[in-house]
Amino acid sequence: MELIINGTTRELEAETLADVVELLGLTGKPVVAEADGLVVTSEAWASTAVRPGMSIELVHFVGGG
Amino acid sequence: MSGGINPSSPFGGVKQTAGRDTWRIGETTLTSRFFLGTGLFPNPYVQMEAIAASGAEVLTFAIRRVNLEAAEDDSILQHLQDRSFIYLPNTSGARTAEEAVRIARLARASGLSDWVKVEISANERTLLPDPIETLKATEILVKEGFTVLPYISDDPIICKKLEEAGAAAIMPGAAPIGTGLGLLNPYNIGLIVEESRVPVIVDAGLGTASDVTQAMELGVSGVLMNTPVAKAKNPAGMAEAMKLAIAAGRLAYLSGRMSKKRYASASSGLDSFKLQ
Repeated sequence: MELIINGTTRELEAETLADVVELLGLTGKPVVAEADGLVVTSEAWASTAVRPGMSIELVHFVGGG
Repeated sequence: MSGGINPSSPFGGVKQTAGRDTWRIGETTLTSRFFLGTGLFPNPYVQMEAIAASGAEVLTFAIRRVNLEAAEDDSILQHLQDRSFIYLPNTSGARTAEEAVRIARLARASGLSDWVKVEISANERTLLPDPIETLKATEILVKEGFTVLPYISDDPIICKKLEEAGAAAIMPGAAPIGTGLGLLNPYNIGLIVEESRVPVIVDAGLGTASDVTQAMELGVSGVLMNTPVAKAKNPAGMAEAMKLAIAAGRLAYLSGRMSKKRYASASSGLDSFKLQ
């Protein structure tokens, strides 16, 4: 299905947010997710269903002051 | 601690500061007064050397989208595993209170920290903080249980408003971010310290060790720096210089400066015993 991930439309065969993270090769990495504007903690990724057109943000910590 | 100088401690042998010179933010007791940023370092190895030399217990970070096109892990955290630091994520990039609150919530969801540095810039050229949006974001995040440390301009009134809103510390800028201009308004920083009941941390604009000492001599509780360390020719060396400058300024503040005089006053002997 089509998902908007970090502002870009992508075609992914995913049912849950955990699937999305895995398909993008980010499993186990210190990533934080937001789905349609709501923060989803990593414990809830597997139980968070994704739907076509959902906007997902995947963020992490980078250097900054 | 009894008499004599303890070379391992910058406060060794000074009676009124015997023991650990600790301070608190919220419920957390800190020993170091150096908050170090993690941006702009030439590479992770140099950064880790600088962090070690600084003695910093608190490290700041930014939150950004993961680059899905790059296979390698560019998260800063991969280099800090097995080390215990307090993480202070910032909300850089936010232009409104709403955006800052969103970034803060994302940062907290990492499980690493409930501290947040509210940083809301309204002007691309100066990156000066927007005081109204900063106050709004602080009010919201305090209610949500965050430990909020707002970066703000050096205005004593807005600093007081932020304290009243529940900020755990106040972080006035010395000068615009990344300029290294030093303390542009020491009078204001001194007033902020006098008025504040929460720690004051000078954040942004410090350039070198003497700037840091000057800030500490005014009685601030700590300093937050990134660019002057990361962009030094020798970042680890500069990190150590800053650590020593913090210690020197703190000790001078605690020990009490002599008063300034307009004219000379001799420090050598009595006039009546001068050789004629």
